Amino acid sequence: MEKAPSLKPGEVNLGVTNRVTDKLTQIHDRIFCCRSGSAADTQAIADIVHYYLQVFTVQEGQPPTVEVAANMFQRLVYDNKDQLMAGIIIGGWDAVNGPSVYSIPLGGSLHRRPFAIGGSGSSYIYGYCDATYKEGMSREECIAFTKNAVSLAMSRDGSSGGTIRLAIITKDKVERVFVPGNELPVFYEG
Amino acid sequence: MTLAEPLPTGGFSFDNVARNAMLAARGAKPPKATSTGTTIVGVIFKDGVVLGADTRATAGPIVADKNCEKIHYLAPNMYCCGAGTAADTEFTTALISSKLELHSLQTGRQSRVVTAMTMLKQMLFRYQGHIGAALVLGGYDVNGPQLYTIAPHGSTDKLPFVTMGSGSLAAMAVFEAKWRANMTRDEAVAIVNDAIEAGIFNDLGSGSNVDVCVITKDNVEYLRNYNRPNERGVKEQSYRFPRGTTTVMSRKVINFVDVIEGDAMDVTA
Amino acid sequence: MSSVGTGYDLSASTYSPDGRIFQIEYAGKAVENSGTCIGIRAKDGVVIAHEKLIHSKLLVPGSNRRIQTVDQHIGMVGAGLLADSRHLVTLAREEASSYRDNYKTPIPAKMIAERVASYVSAFTLYSSVRPFGLSTIIGVMDVHGPALYMIEPSGVHYGYFGCAAGKGKQVAKTEIEKLKFAELSARDAVKAAAKIIHMVHDDAKDKEFELEMSWICEESGRKHQPVPADILQEAERLAKAQLNADEMEED
Repeated sequence: MEKAPSLKPGEVNLGVTNRVTDKLTQIHDRIFCCRSGSAADTQAIADIVHYYLQVFTVQEGQPPTVEVAANMFQRLVYDNKDQLMAGIIIGGWDAVNGPSVYSIPLGGSLHRRPFAIGGSGSSYIYGYCDATYKEGMSREECIAFTKNAVSLAMSRDGSSGGTIRLAIITKDKVERVFVPGNELPVFYEG
Repeated sequence: MTLAEPLPTGGFSFDNVARNAMLAARGAKPPKATSTGTTIVGVIFKDGVVLGADTRATAGPIVADKNCEKIHYLAPNMYCCGAGTAADTEFTTALISSKLELHSLQTGRQSRVVTAMTMLKQMLFRYQGHIGAALVLGGYDVNGPQLYTIAPHGSTDKLPFVTMGSGSLAAMAVFEAKWRANMTRDEAVAIVNDAIEAGIFNDLGSGSNVDVCVITKDNVEYLRNYNRPNERGVKEQSYRFPRGTTTVMSRKVINFVDVIEGDAMDVTA
Repeated sequence: MSSVGTGYDLSASTYSPDGRIFQIEYAGKAVENSGTCIGIRAKDGVVIAHEKLIHSKLLVPGSNRRIQTVDQHIGMVGAGLLADSRHLVTLAREEASSYRDNYKTPIPAKMIAERVASYVSAFTLYSSVRPFGLSTIIGVMDVHGPALYMIEPSGVHYGYFGCAAGKGKQVAKTEIEKLKFAELSARDAVKAAAKIIHMVHDDAKDKEFELEMSWICEESGRKHQPVPADILQEAERLAKAQLNADEMEED
């Protein structure tokens, strides 16, 4: 089972500061988040949740659920919404709910979704995602879906681009996939 | 009867905000911070990291210092290049350096680069970008050579080669063209020098000399003015006017009046 | 008691020369005077029961419940001082609610037991306070299934298959030990609990009592609820019949 939430690598403020940014951030053994918006804000939030989850793990003697992690993010984003620019997708695997994906848009609401998209380029691919997503996709189908979605967003969004990073999170392991800029899936380029 | 002095209340005083607004409204120019229109870079090589910086400090259109130091000491195994507001980079690195020293005394261990990076990013994030420090942090710890950039709002990047400051684009162009994995010390120093030179020559905010700092396991080489590509040349000839260039039209001599002192003091016993 | 009058029993923050804290032991005495409380952890749920002694005929039947709900999935009963029990329930409710606020998920059994226990333990450390005159039984259904904990006045807490506190503690424990927990359903546990409470109650010596019983199981929707009246009455009827039959045999 895998959920590979999508997001777009590459841009920060005006101009590209790092064309191989890793916006997929690991916050626990089987929980990742995708960061969009201000790099400083989302890094600070991810660091805080990372810390909370470490404390949680020690206190409870077992790993946190993705739900718990998502709620920690939601609280931080909602409580400080006036001072933040952060759109976050949380995905991962846990023993209680299996694989799950949550989305926290700018206002700080929390949504559990079968898939989630976010960031500046996401508005270009709602159609593609709704048309293509099927329940119960295989691992390979999920990878192709995510890769295609991100690639399509990158080709239409002026401030998305560079490379694609995927994380395939399963019960047993986390696989990181890196797709360099010259190996992206190609669609109509006319 | 005198009453006890009331204790001052705690917290910040914003009294001067209104005063400054009034002064500005009356046309007073607020002082300008010295900004380091700057080129700073860092590269990881086989056995360590190399940091580089130019040495020009500017205050608006003025070159405020032609040979300043932008590579700051953080810890024995760590240095940090600063771009942005000079005072902010200076004091931020000094503060974190002090915290690192105490931390390392407390733990009995050498400081780690991630620790410095985390302290810096948390401080800069807390100040929401008002501390104008853009940093390149390099060091060598138990995890080997490490390199980070830290932007004024507190975001960080971890990469094998980085540039910052107004000359970062010129410098990055050099890195993108010349960087290779697993370089030797000398190769790394050479491309750092080239990257800083690109900033010095192509970015108006950067100039003067190249400072380099090579950090390896248990060793630091701080190469102040590693390269001086803007040495003032020796003049081909003298441009002084010869005596008599200006015609003397008239001459008049006024003798000073002699001042006569009073009687000498009687110093007899 | 040999300790009385030696001065070592005046404060919870003073040890006796042989390493005891008498105030905690006295708190244990307060528990021993209380109606019996028991908890049984079955395969699919937890049952807690209390022998509520009726000290006045003027009390409305069913009032002053000893078993209280801490959160949807947590039930708690205290053998000992009722006021202390109420205080601890309030504390437990705050802990459960703050956990829900923080993590938007129900507090696990282990955590609520740990937090209540550390609160109880804090009252054994200072001369300015008195330890809780209370043994608290906590029944929980969390993601890992049913769980049962008991916290003593000293703050020690253990997880149990079955536990008892109060007057009839010894007899109740002996009876509970006879149960086969691996096969026991929540409904079986209700019957067993009814029988045990009726057994430990001494009609000749003790006051009248009401049997209070609650459960958290699949049948109650994993929520802490009083055992439905019909099931409870049937269990009590069976318990009395069995006890009578046992007496006959003895006679």
